[in-house]
Amino acid sequence: MRPELEEVQLLESYLRGTLSEEQRIEVNVRLLWNPDWQQKLAAQKLAYQALRLAGRQQLRRELDAIYLRLFG
Amino acid sequence: MNATQSLSMAVDLLTDRDYTMERIYAKTYPMVRHYVREHGGSEEDAKDVFHEAMIIYYEKTVQQQLVLTSSVSTYLMGICKNRWHQELEKRSRNAELVDNPVDPIWEESGMEEQPALNLMTFVDQLGETCKSILISFYYFGQRLEQIAQQHGYQTVRSATVQKFKCLERLRKAVSHLSIDHFKP
Repeated sequence: MRPELEEVQLLESYLRGTLSEEQRIEVNVRLLWNPDWQQKLAAQKLAYQALRLAGRQQLRRELDAIYLRLFG
Repeated sequence: MNATQSLSMAVDLLTDRDYTMERIYAKTYPMVRHYVREHGGSEEDAKDVFHEAMIIYYEKTVQQQLVLTSSVSTYLMGICKNRWHQELEKRSRNAELVDNPVDPIWEESGMEEQPALNLMTFVDQLGETCKSILISFYYFGQRLEQIAQQHGYQTVRSATVQKFKCLERLRKAVSHLSIDHFKP
């Protein structure tokens, strides 16, 4: 994977809390000194939030469709 | 249904969502509808309450936060009863306020809902493939093996790479929002 994608993966593991102690400290230090990284982390959190909202919307639609099939 | 059956229901829910939800729906919804109607609600109310309960059940299942000691139907019925009582209380409170003169400045602007709608637009703009991969994985909790198969990827590895490409695109798309939201 190209470096940008490795970075997305690293931040995902960081947010999930699945990094090793050493890696976690490394990311924390980078976040502390690098505003660009802080910005990327904030954007990534927002991306997950967007997916949760879009997922819920899709689930609602699927439930509506089941309702119509069974009881409509 | 015992606890082991509930567990296999959880697995089925993630691998065959539509069929499993339909089974749960067919079994549980008539009970919910009966209850809500008996307690002053309409068919539409029953459906709303039941859908909210299904969403809670689904999200908890994906996040593995749910250890059911009873059947899925009993669990869902419990949520629906609670929610319906909360709704009734809310409605009776609102009814008490109706006679008060309403100052137009108190009308809801709809601004609260704006960010959520905006965020979802970015997901839509990713295109069908990316949208489907990301939602299947992050929201619906599907395994990457299944996602790879459904989207015609030869290996799980290539589906993983594609997933991160899509996520990076979404991250870029929302990044200007996060400047406003999270100023360091």
